[in-house]
Amino acid sequence: MNAHPSPIQPIELKGRMILVSILRLHDADTDQLNEALDARMREAPELMRDMPLLVDVEHLANTPAETLTQVIEAIRGRGFKLIGLQQGAVAQSVASGIGLPLIVLGGKGTEVPLRAAPSPQAEPANEPSPSVHKESASAVQALHTASLVVNQPVRSGQQVYARGGDLIVLGTVSAGAELLSDGHIHVYGTLRGKALAGVRGMTGARIFCRRLDAELVSIAGHYRIAEDILDAERGENRLVTLAGETIVISEI
Amino acid sequence: MARIVVITSGKGGVGKTTTSAALATGLAMEGHRTAVIDFDVGLRNLDLIMGCERRVVYDFVNVINGDANLRQALIKDKRTENLFILPASQTRDKDALTEEGVEKVLDELSQEFDYIICDSPAGIERGALMAAYFADAAIVVTNPEVSSVRDSDRMLGILSSKTRVAERGEGPLPAKLLLTRYSPERVEKGEMLSVDDVTEILSIEMLGVIPESQSVLNASNAGMPVILDAESDAGQAYRDAVARFLGEDRPHRFLTTQKKGLFGRLFKG
Ligand SMILES: Nc1ncnc2c1ncn2[C@@H]1O[C@H](COP(=O)(O)OP(=O)(O)O)[C@@H](O)[C@H]1O
Ligand SMILES: [Mg+2]
Repeated sequence: MNAHPSPIQPIELKGRMILVSILRLHDADTDQLNEALDARMREAPELMRDMPLLVDVEHLANTPAETLTQVIEAIRGRGFKLIGLQQGAVAQSVASGIGLPLIVLGGKGTEVPLRAAPSPQAEPANEPSPSVHKESASAVQALHTASLVVNQPVRSGQQVYARGGDLIVLGTVSAGAELLSDGHIHVYGTLRGKALAGVRGMTGARIFCRRLDAELVSIAGHYRIAEDILDAERGENRLVTLAGETIVISEI
Repeated sequence: MARIVVITSGKGGVGKTTTSAALATGLAMEGHRTAVIDFDVGLRNLDLIMGCERRVVYDFVNVINGDANLRQALIKDKRTENLFILPASQTRDKDALTEEGVEKVLDELSQEFDYIICDSPAGIERGALMAAYFADAAIVVTNPEVSSVRDSDRMLGILSSKTRVAERGEGPLPAKLLLTRYSPERVEKGEMLSVDDVTEILSIEMLGVIPESQSVLNASNAGMPVILDAESDAGQAYRDAVARFLGEDRPHRFLTTQKKGLFGRLFKG
């Protein structure tokens, strides 16, 4: 036994944010489901394989547990990255059998009508084939194809995601609202809600805002919550960047 | 075709029903044929504030279920010409208001009226969504406190997507703000948000600011919309709001502490 305590801690806990997609099942007809899953996978194989997925089975209250288990296996078998079941009554009854944790996702974000239809070039189907630099290459390419401009304020309970590009918001972003972007985020009003840039790993993503009073800012999964944002860092014309593992807020 | 206006908020007890009664009465006083509908199934407040609770025979749900026709259920206001009230049902069944049913009633009312005012229940659930769904415009009622403003913000977000107007791709539902129960004294003491704070947070046009006023309680106890009390501050503020709603440009009043003018505040010490 070592009498001297080791200077290195055996474990280290670090917070990171990830973007999770929810796969909601509306029907347990296995053939139809398999077909739909295959279609999704064909459309965007890399995206689907990379994206942590939470399965929502709450619409399948009348489906026997056995069938549900098969369905989940079918999803798993296609290489989707399942991380759990969305918390709910149906999920509760089958979770242990399926061997997936129940996960509560806070706040059912309102559907936002603000999302522009992605331009055809932005379809992940013609993403470059996998290579070591895949991530940065596709991110850079996407920036010019799928910027999303939002002309209205983004309000509490709303969520806007600019997939494959930058997000530009002309109005204010309320407390309780959430902005997500694969690229940069620009806010030309006051940012009071959450802003997550580079959600698929682009560490060079930045957040620009005319006035920062945010609940949370995040870049490539690194984040700072309201409590960790100093009063001096709040204010007009702010820029949020990632330096190594640190979120830096500076004046523009 | 009538213009359908929903009075909504998210939060309860902020003054939606008071406002619905005032706005409907104000519009009718200006000569517009106006119907005001109580969507608050199970609670029935509007008829009390309008002072017609003892004349209720049939209600909104009766009409939807076909137990009565609109002509039988609409209550003609005794004080104001051109004004009709469709009371809420006392039923406990919140699902009694179906989308088809509501649409049918609104369509029928639209033939005859210039304005239909929908007094929404609190919350952001089904009842509130139903009251807002068919609207052409919304008035969001807010009190000058953080939680009320937050709920209104949330409601504004919902109005921008979950309404017929929005679903048809005609953009978010046009909405204006009515700040009620405003107390300049408490704003000065820093206990309440100011008009500027609220406008800045919600970034939306202010239709009116209604002061906190004993006259509202007196009027509601008397079963009379406060807008009929022409002497009262709240009554006058509601008249201004109705005029602005109809396109008139009027300055906001009752925003600063009464009696104690500029000098009073300067020399307060
Ligand atoms: N401007 C005001 N001043 C004082 N009391 C008010 C004012 N507006 C509303 N109230 C009171 O607040 C309470 C709730 O109003 P109500 O119109 O029923 O709200 P809601 O319909 O949003 O639940 C009532 O007791 C009402 O008399
Ligand atoms: Mg009410």
